[in-house]
Amino acid sequence: MATEIKRPSTGAIQGAFHDGTTPRTGPDSIHPPLDHVDVGAGTISATVAPPSVGDEGLPHETLREMYRLVALARAVDERMWQVNRAGRAPFAVSGQGHEAAQIGAAFALDRSKDIVLPYYRDLALSLAFGLTASDLMMSVLAKAGDPASGARQMPAHYGSARLRIVTASSPVSTQLPHATGTAYAAKLRGTGQVSLACFGEGGSSKGDFHEACNFAGIHKLPVIFFCENNRYAISVPQNLQMAIDNVADRAAGYGFPGVVVDGTDLLAVHQVVKAAADRARRGEGPTLVEAKVYRFTPHTSDDDDRTYRSPEEVKAWRARDPLALFEARLREVGALDDETLTEIKGRIKSEVNEATEAAEQAPFPDPTTFDRHVYAER
Amino acid sequence: MATTQRAGKKQRQTEQDGLTAVAEALGFDEETLRGLYRKMVLIRLFEDAAQRTFRQGKIGGYLHVYSGQEAVATGFLAAFQEGDRAITAYRDHAHALLLGSDPKAVMAELFGRGTGLVKGKGGSMHLFDVANGLWGGYGIVGGHIPLGVGMAYAERYWGSDAVVQLYLGDGAIHNAAYHEAANLAGLWGRDGLNPTLFILENNQYGMGTSVERATAMTDLAAKFDSYAIEHEKVDGMDLVAVLACAQRVTERVRETGKPYAVEALTYRLVAHGAGDFFEKYRTKEEVRTWRERDPIGLFEQKLLAAGVADEQGLGAIRDEAKQIVDEAVRFADESPEPPLEELHTDVYADAE
Ligand SMILES: Cc1ncc(C[n+]2csc(CCOP(=O)(O)OP(=O)(O)O)c2C)c(N)n1
Ligand SMILES: Cc1ncc(C[n+]2csc(CCOP(=O)(O)OP(=O)(O)O)c2C)c(N)n1
Ligand SMILES: [Mg+2]
Ligand SMILES: [Mg+2]
Repeated sequence: MATEIKRPSTGAIQGAFHDGTTPRTGPDSIHPPLDHVDVGAGTISATVAPPSVGDEGLPHETLREMYRLVALARAVDERMWQVNRAGRAPFAVSGQGHEAAQIGAAFALDRSKDIVLPYYRDLALSLAFGLTASDLMMSVLAKAGDPASGARQMPAHYGSARLRIVTASSPVSTQLPHATGTAYAAKLRGTGQVSLACFGEGGSSKGDFHEACNFAGIHKLPVIFFCENNRYAISVPQNLQMAIDNVADRAAGYGFPGVVVDGTDLLAVHQVVKAAADRARRGEGPTLVEAKVYRFTPHTSDDDDRTYRSPEEVKAWRARDPLALFEARLREVGALDDETLTEIKGRIKSEVNEATEAAEQAPFPDPTTFDRHVYAER
Repeated sequence: MATTQRAGKKQRQTEQDGLTAVAEALGFDEETLRGLYRKMVLIRLFEDAAQRTFRQGKIGGYLHVYSGQEAVATGFLAAFQEGDRAITAYRDHAHALLLGSDPKAVMAELFGRGTGLVKGKGGSMHLFDVANGLWGGYGIVGGHIPLGVGMAYAERYWGSDAVVQLYLGDGAIHNAAYHEAANLAGLWGRDGLNPTLFILENNQYGMGTSVERATAMTDLAAKFDSYAIEHEKVDGMDLVAVLACAQRVTERVRETGKPYAVEALTYRLVAHGAGDFFEKYRTKEEVRTWRERDPIGLFEQKLLAAGVADEQGLGAIRDEAKQIVDEAVRFADESPEPPLEELHTDVYADAE
C-alpha cells in the first residue's frame, strides 16, 4: 500500500536532460526523448503551396466544367440575395469569393464516392457534388422540395444522403468531428472513401476542431480539413481570433501536414487537395489545407459589414475575384473564348431563372408532415 | 508564429549543476531546502494514508493521489506569491497541502466530514481554499482550463500582477476546452493580459491511455506553438530542476503578462485512481524503472550529498510528517458528518 520512498540505486543523479556523457538513472523509454532540450521553438510549420501555372495539365473540357460551376455558384448566390432583398426569402448566407477554392477542392476528390461535410459557404462545393440550382432555390425559399430536409433546415445547410453530402448543423465546426467519424468508418470498412470537411478560420478556434484533428491524427484517417480562411468571423478579424498567422500551422500539433494555399487560385487549390486526397487514400492520414480567400458579401443577410470593414478593403479584394481570375486563366491557356463563354453564361442564366421559377411555384411543406425528417425513416 | 526563448545554455547549466548552485541563485537557505523535503514527504505519507483509508471504506467517491509527482507542484508552488492563484484537476491534494491548507481539513474533506476543507461537500476531487490561493479542484478533464485562463485575464484586467498557475494533465491537453482556452490565452497574452503559467504534468498516461496512444504528436509542450505560447520542458522528477525553472518562468509571466507553458515530465508511481487494481496498460518493469527516479529519493540524495541534511535529520522529518498525517486521519475519523441543515447552503452565492 505505502509508496515507499526509493533512492536511485546508481550513484549518478542528474536531471532528465542529461548531456549524453553520464548514464541516466531513469528509463530510456521516457518520451519525448528527454535529451531533446531544444524542443519547443515555434516555427511556421505549414507548407505554402506555389501558385498554379498554365492549365496544370488538366483537360480543357474539365477546366470549362470547373469554370461553369464557379459561374453557376456565383449566379445562384446572387439570386439568393435578390430573393432575400425582395422579401421572398427570410435569410441568405453564401459563399461569394470562396467559389474557386471550393471547386478546386471538389474536383480533387472522387465525386462519385467521396464524402463532403460542407458549411454554410459551400454552395459551389455542393453544386459540384450534385445538388442543383433548383435544389438550392427550394432551400432558400423553404419549399417542400428542399433536399436537405424538406425545408426544416436553415438555408445553406446543404445536405443529401444520396450525394454523400453530410448535412450541416448550425453550431460552428460540429462537422469536423463528424468528418473524423465518417473517415474512421471508411477506414474500418475499407471503402477507400476520403472525407473533406470545410470550415472557417473562426471555426478553427472551436474545441471540436482540436478533438477532430487529434483523433484523425492518431488513427491516420482519410480526412481533409479544409479551412476557408476569409479573414473574418462575422465582425471579428483574424488577428482578434488567434495569435498566429496560419490556421494550417496548427496541423503540426496533431502530427500531420498543413498547407497554406491561395484560395483565389483554383488550380493551386486543386493541386494541394489532390495531394491530400492521394495521401489519405494511401493510408497516410489527414491533411489540413488552409485556402486564403475573402468574403465579398456581408456575413449573412442580417449583417452590415460596413460596421467592421471598409468598402475600400472589399473593393481591393474584388479586384482579385476568383471568377474573373479563372476566366482570364482559361482564356490564356486557350480553354475559353468569347463564344463558349457566351454560351455558358446563357445556359447558367436560364438555369437560374428556371430554378427560381420552379421554387417559387413549388409548395411549402405540408404541416401534417412536420415530424418527418427528424429521425431516419425506414 | 512564436519562437520559444529557452533558458540560455549557461542558465540551464546552472540548473543542472545541482542543489547548491540553484539554492544560492534562488536565495534558499538550508532550512528552506529541508522544508521542501518535509513538504514532499508530507504529501507522500498523506497520499498513502488516503489510499489506505479509501480501501477501508472511509472515503467515498473517488480518489486520485499524487505519489511520484510531488516535485512538480512542490517546485512550482515554491515560486507562488501571495495573491497568485493555482487551479488544477482532481489530483489536487498536494496543491492544497502545499498552499497551506490544514492537513486535518484536507483529510476530513476526503472523508466527507463537516470539518472538511469545503465542509465535506466537495470530496477529494473538489478541494478549494481561496484564502490560500487554491481555486480548485475539478473533476471534468479539461474543464478547469478555461476557468484558469479567465482568472488570469481578470487579474490583469483589474490591475494586479498575480500569476495563475494552471496545472493540467497529458490527457487534458487533447480536450476541446484546452484548445479554446489556450487560443484565448495566446490572444490576450499579446496585450499582456494573460499571466497564465500552464504547468503540463506529463505523467505519461491519461488513465490507461499512454501519450503515444492519445496523440500522433507526442511533443506535448510544442502543442502550445499553435497558440503562440512559448514553452519549455523540465524534468518533473527533479525538484531542483523544477525549482529553478519555476522561479524563472513565474517571474517572466509576472513581468510580461503573457502566458507560458512548461511540460514537466513525471510519472505516477501508483494507480490512476485508488479503486484501480489492474494496470494492464503498463508493465511492472516500467514502474520499477521509474521508481529509480522517485522525486523524493532523488532529493534526499541531493540533500545528503550537499550536506544539507544527514540520515538522522531526514528520519526526523519523516517521523514528524507521519505524526501530522496520523493526526489528520484521526481528526477526520472523529469528525461528524455535515449536518442536514447544510444541504442547501453553499449552492449559490449569497445575494448582496
Ligand atoms: C458554436 C457557435 N457559436 C457561434 C455561432 C454564430 N456564428 C455563426 S457563423 C460565425 C462565424 C464563423 O466564422 P468563420 O468560421 O470564420 O466562418 P465564415 O463565416 O467567415 O466563413 C459565428 C460566430 C455559431 N453558429 N455556432
Ligand atoms: C471530460 C472527461 N472525460 C473523461 C473523464 C474520465 N477521466 C478521469 S481522469 C482521466 C484521465 C486524465 O488524464 P490526465 O489529464 O493525463 O491526468 P492524470 O490523471 O494523468 O493526472 C479521464 C479520462 C473525465 N473525468 N472527464
Ligand atoms: Mg471566416
Ligand atoms: Mg496523465
